[in-house]
Amino acid sequence: MSSSVGVRNWWRHALAISLCLFTAFPIYVVITTSFDPTGGIASTSWLPVKFSFSNYTQLFTDPRVPYMSWMKNSLVISAATAITSVLIGAASAYAFSRMRFKGRKVGLQALLLVQVFPSFLALSAIYVIMERVYLVAPTFGLGSIWGLYLIYIGGAMGINAWLLKGFLDTIPMELDESARIDGASVPQIFWLIFFPLASPVLAVTAVLSFIGTFNEFILASLFLQDVDKRTVAVGLQQFVGGQYEQTWGPFAAGSIIASVPLVILFLTMQRYIIGGLTSGAVKG
Amino acid sequence: MIYTLVGLRGPVAMLLKFALLGAIDAFLIWFLTAALAKNSIIMAIVVIACLVALNVSFLIKGAMPLKFLIVGVLFFSIFVITPTGYTIVMSGFNYKTGNEIDKASAINAIMVNGLVPDAAGTTYDMFLGKSPNGQWAAILYDASKHALFFATLKDVRPITEADITRDSSGKIIAAKGITRLTDAQFADLDTEIGNLRFPLGHGAFANPQGTDVASGLVQSFVYDKKKDTITDTQAGITYIDNKKGNYANKADMNQTLDPGWRAWAGYDNFKQLLTNKRLRDPFVGVFIWTIAFAFLSVGTTFAVGMLLALALQNDLRFRRFYRGFLILPYAIPSFMSILIWRGLFNKNYGAINHLLHTNIGWFDGPWTARGAVILVNLWLGFPYMYLIGSGALQSIPSELEEAAAIDGASGRQAFISIKLPLLMQILGPLLISSFAFNFNNFNIIYLLTGGGPTDSGNGKIAGATDILISYAYKTAFGSTYHNYGLSSAISMMMFFIVGTLSMYTLRKSKVLETL
Repeated sequence: MSSSVGVRNWWRHALAISLCLFTAFPIYVVITTSFDPTGGIASTSWLPVKFSFSNYTQLFTDPRVPYMSWMKNSLVISAATAITSVLIGAASAYAFSRMRFKGRKVGLQALLLVQVFPSFLALSAIYVIMERVYLVAPTFGLGSIWGLYLIYIGGAMGINAWLLKGFLDTIPMELDESARIDGASVPQIFWLIFFPLASPVLAVTAVLSFIGTFNEFILASLFLQDVDKRTVAVGLQQFVGGQYEQTWGPFAAGSIIASVPLVILFLTMQRYIIGGLTSGAVKG
Repeated sequence: MIYTLVGLRGPVAMLLKFALLGAIDAFLIWFLTAALAKNSIIMAIVVIACLVALNVSFLIKGAMPLKFLIVGVLFFSIFVITPTGYTIVMSGFNYKTGNEIDKASAINAIMVNGLVPDAAGTTYDMFLGKSPNGQWAAILYDASKHALFFATLKDVRPITEADITRDSSGKIIAAKGITRLTDAQFADLDTEIGNLRFPLGHGAFANPQGTDVASGLVQSFVYDKKKDTITDTQAGITYIDNKKGNYANKADMNQTLDPGWRAWAGYDNFKQLLTNKRLRDPFVGVFIWTIAFAFLSVGTTFAVGMLLALALQNDLRFRRFYRGFLILPYAIPSFMSILIWRGLFNKNYGAINHLLHTNIGWFDGPWTARGAVILVNLWLGFPYMYLIGSGALQSIPSELEEAAAIDGASGRQAFISIKLPLLMQILGPLLISSFAFNFNNFNIIYLLTGGGPTDSGNGKIAGATDILISYAYKTAFGSTYHNYGLSSAISMMMFFIVGTLSMYTLRKSKVLETL
């Protein structure tokens, strides 16, 4: 019996193992490269020949590579975007889920439709507009992470509101009614009942938004020209994006440091994120 | 009871609310003054509208939905709807490098360009520096006429030898009211100095040649406001508005004056894209590849992900390990994994050539580059498909399969004719949004191949792996030549395609009816 199960299962293992190898391949190379002091991408041998932390130390000591600033910029802008867009999304979702008002249906349809338009489709328009804003208020125009932040929030609303509304719809109406009978106002119901109840979903939305912003490249590279103001994505790309001069060592080290927190965040939230995915969200 | 205790109506909550609103108001008012100071009327109007909308919604009683929605709606209008609208407007303009400013500024610039050396070829000895207020100023000496001037960029006045000091060779070495710059400062400002024009009155100017000499220029262009023409009086050529954003020679319309301005072009950008062979061929190529790329990406990732979901569906040894390990590509920031793959595919030191003992330039040939893009996207995308696939599998009741088995269907038969249709029904909308996502998947193209390989010999900018979004990006920002109008036209076409696609999905999934 057990041998027949083994035979029936062999293709499952074969598939899973080959995909594991496929998955592991670039991860293995980036790890060995990050410890290779020569700075090239490790390829001459499968086992590391030399081992050193020089790529890692370079990130924190070389003044031409302000890795700490990049990391800080990425974390600040991603966290700010995640928090703001979840707050805006939750408030909008609450209104759409619990209130009936003129324009509700049109609003929902519009939200659904623009979900599929990434804001960077209008990138030349955004660029030209932010160029003008720069002339008026440099802090919020082209070249500043706060200008970029505003654009991210503007684009993030649609997806979040839609995802959160789906969750709020599953909370029974009786809850609102009993709270109202107890004398709660609408803002109180929102802050004191829905917010705590929805906190797992809010957390998932925030994490997805954080990861999405952290990964965003096109607008960030267009906007952030100063070396100090770059995000990790734009900063690290400069190492290896060039045609001729490519320095893989520091890039690999920087990538690993930047990925670890994200991977941990993702894996711990895994169960909730998967729930969110199957209910219709797409990772940006 | 508890609500009155915690209270959002209490003084603390009120204070918080007004403090927050006040802070936002203060910020907006600061922005408004900045906009007004720069005479930016449109921005000022937008800021005022925000101010009014925010304060009205939060200060009036009732109107609960408005209070909850207003912030989102404002952001949405400013950063999504406005750029979209602006894209539509831009696509109707001839807006590109050389045609970036408005007409009045273009005319000013042309007039400056119309300064030519005067007939006598006057040269001036010059003593250049800055006046006490930090502006450029110069002493100019016309040796042929023994005329001495003190010139700034605004005006000019005659002075006498008493105001200056000369050395033994007659060179001016000091002057009242001018501080000479150091040689290092002069070197830094080299270009700026070359562009200085000191007006000397009667249409004559002095233009520094280096730091000690200036040459005399006269205005050769005359702008006729009534007829809207510019005449080059020296060459005897009349330039007229060619209605495309440039002044063109009346006799030879291909000869135009620089710079031009943003001119209304109607649907010209679209027409060019669809009929001008130089633009149409790359556009059609990019379009076809975009569709193929999105289809292949969804197809391959879905096939692998679904197969994996089926393989790991039942209890299997190491299942938890497989599951945890195989979603790693989804958890690692994608811009990094794409760049790492870029290194792996490198011809000279990439691990793939090393592994296969080959020396293939993967990104040099169009088909190997396309294959690489699909392979890397498979790596990035199969975990997502696996996750949604296994979720969908779990939601199909097992009774269905049992019933099929009792009716005598084999496992494969049951899967193909019962499970798969059900799965497609559940996953259909997700697959279509995945298609839309890949349709706009800028990162993978830009970071992996940069859209290449590009046949750059004939000035083409579209490469073999460029998709519409990367093509639009390159058109607008790719090189030193920026064509915002054309790029917006490409974006508009993408709006149209993605919009149609998503409307179709929404109809089909009947989401709209359950709102």
